[in-house]
Amino acid sequence: MQRSPHVTSARARTVRAAAALLVAIGYVDLVRGGLVVAPLALVAGYVILVPAALLAD
Amino acid sequence: MTAPNSTRDLRPSYRAAGLTALVVLALYVVTLAPTTAMWDASEYITAAYTLGIPHPPGNPLFVLLGRVASLLPVGGVAYRVNLLAAVCSALAAGIWFLVAERVLAQWIAVAWVRRAGSVLAAVLSATAFTVWNQSVVNEKVYTVSLAFFAVVSWLTVLWCDDPDGRRADRILVLIAYLIGLGYTNHPAGFLVGPAVATAVIVRRPRTMLRWRLIASALLALALGLTPFAFEPIRAAHHPALNEGEPTGCSDRIAVACTFSDKTVHRLMANVNRDQYGKPNLSERQAPFSAQLGMWWLYFEWQWLRDPHGTQGPLQTALAVLFLGLGIAGGVMHWRRDRASFWFFGPLVFTVTFALVYYMNFKYGASQAPELSGVEREVRDRDYFYLWSYSAWSVWAALGLVAVWRVVAERAGRAPRWMATAPILAFGLLPLIGNWRAASRAGEWATREWARDILNSVEPYGILITGGDNDTFPLWYAQEVEGVRRDVTVAVTSLLNTDWYARGLLRRPIHRYDETAGPAVYRGRAWPLPTRPIMSLSTAQLDAIPDYVELREPQLFEQGGIRAVIDPRHLEFGVPLRADIIVLQMLKDNLGVRPFYISRTTASYLQSLGLGPYALVQGLATKVSPAALTAGRDTVQVPGAGFLDVPRTSALWRGFGAPAAIIRRGDWIDRPSVGIPALYTSTALVLAQAAEMQGHAAEAEKLRTQGIEVAEAAHIADWFLGPEPSTPPPATGNDAPRGTALPAKP
Repeated sequence: MQRSPHVTSARARTVRAAAALLVAIGYVDLVRGGLVVAPLALVAGYVILVPAALLAD
Repeated sequence: MTAPNSTRDLRPSYRAAGLTALVVLALYVVTLAPTTAMWDASEYITAAYTLGIPHPPGNPLFVLLGRVASLLPVGGVAYRVNLLAAVCSALAAGIWFLVAERVLAQWIAVAWVRRAGSVLAAVLSATAFTVWNQSVVNEKVYTVSLAFFAVVSWLTVLWCDDPDGRRADRILVLIAYLIGLGYTNHPAGFLVGPAVATAVIVRRPRTMLRWRLIASALLALALGLTPFAFEPIRAAHHPALNEGEPTGCSDRIAVACTFSDKTVHRLMANVNRDQYGKPNLSERQAPFSAQLGMWWLYFEWQWLRDPHGTQGPLQTALAVLFLGLGIAGGVMHWRRDRASFWFFGPLVFTVTFALVYYMNFKYGASQAPELSGVEREVRDRDYFYLWSYSAWSVWAALGLVAVWRVVAERAGRAPRWMATAPILAFGLLPLIGNWRAASRAGEWATREWARDILNSVEPYGILITGGDNDTFPLWYAQEVEGVRRDVTVAVTSLLNTDWYARGLLRRPIHRYDETAGPAVYRGRAWPLPTRPIMSLSTAQLDAIPDYVELREPQLFEQGGIRAVIDPRHLEFGVPLRADIIVLQMLKDNLGVRPFYISRTTASYLQSLGLGPYALVQGLATKVSPAALTAGRDTVQVPGAGFLDVPRTSALWRGFGAPAAIIRRGDWIDRPSVGIPALYTSTALVLAQAAEMQGHAAEAEKLRTQGIEVAEAAHIADWFLGPEPSTPPPATGNDAPRGTALPAKP
């Protein structure tokens, strides 16, 4: 049976939380002047986890 | 025979696509540049490494990706960033495989035939000259855009397959997000938008009326644009490369200055590329027919790059062939797979005709050389059409498969696919024909050029440069490789902006490392300057106008220098902000820091009335504190001015670029060929000086060395023969980076 589009699974919520956390970590480190964690976190967040979060249902 | 669509296996061959992408990646790795290259390559590599801000719009996503790539434990920094370009293009090739396979699935029943056609699409798009050439050095951000285009293409195909499916809405929202994210790599990210919209409207028009979905997509688009927040945050740390300075924080990052009107204003100026001041689209910079002609010129390059014009008819014949194949492929696409055509067709239209109109280029640097008096782009702009040629290659491959099918069907009662497969070899022509020109393997000349010109400057010197090619490689050498960071490089094209001069004031003084510098500077004391590069405050710098009206010649006096600045000799007929700052730096540093002007700037020094004080040392000209006279070491060479013979000889012996140019045996990018020409000029001037000093054997040796460089770069005829021509300047000033410049007289 097709799930309602407005109901999200625990997995989807986890991926979204991880995406938001990673992007937030990236920006916090960027503000601190970080040159390693910031780009790694922002790239992982924006390029991998946010798309995964948008697709997850 | 064609089976009905319902019986077709539409499952994508992800494994085969992945394998194809790996093969393409292997090709790119084999032909990858080991280091930096001319034009914007050094700027982007430096921006990635320093997590800096390249020229507007600042490309934050690229900088982040490039920085991550620069952390890879393989090769040098430049190699790693080049690898990013290769991976992105290989990914695109893999996805073009899937797109082609989807189209072929509608009219070819035999699986291996479909796959062969799909491999052909991937290989053809990967080996089209511009795609290949841009994939083996990270000169621009366009290969990242290409990867985004390809991913969005595939997602749109999936959506079109099942627009009412469980994940359809999520796919559309993801597409919107990726378009926004792609925009933060380059504004071209939006180019895929019209094609997606067309596909959605044609396939399921009512989608556009689903306001909740549309709102979600717009939110996702906005989320995709948030990497622009990187710019003001990072700019507030004032990295070595901070173009546009999109921050209101002048000292250190803080909440108040980051969330200020100044930050918003500067960020928006960066994002909107205000600095470039391109004319309104209604003001055409060249006739539209000529702009289409430029696209066609570069289209001809794709299938057989012929940099020296020795195979013109063959090149044109191949271009006509691939144009015809592309049209045939487009027609087959329209007839066999209407759903994906409504995406791909508008995409090809957007990245070709619409882009040609939008870019509104002047005549191309290599276009119609017989036309004189027309305004030209400073360099060839084929890279702007990389997406066009890549997408066209997919259609050309489909066209070739269509031809294959006709031939196979005529060869026997049942299609004889295998027997007629050699026809696909046509698709390998660009791989063979472009290899020499597209490959950047073993290209070290730009890196060596940067070292050579920096080493031409004495410790703690100031070097005035003129454009991209005499500046960006130097940034790379200094900031990435740590070469001669004691030298202050100031490029006149950027001195016309406000932020660049402020950045120069902020730049720390780096200590000269004698052990790493050239031997010619050893054994002498080089006192560390204690004063900033200019005596002006930031406010005073900001107050310098874009230009000043000067109707009569004016005297510039400092120490032993008395230079007459005649407005008739200035490029714009008036002193620009850059000229005023250059003179201010000269005034503040005479006797404190050695002051040089790069020899790539042609007659800039003379235009400021400083000719009598110009002493050539290697690839730069030093401004002497008093008028020069000939002596034992200073020889006045006719046509070249005063030459410091021992210094230039010593530097010449240590230069790395001549050997690198000779080893490469070619110089593909003709608009920057002034660089090898400068080396040859240097050798010939040295030879002339040696002859004047009675060293005939030495003169002959130098002449031979100089001509060897010229021959490798295919410019020997400029220097040989009864009437040698004047080499062009080697700066390559790519863009009007100042605003409010007066019109050229």
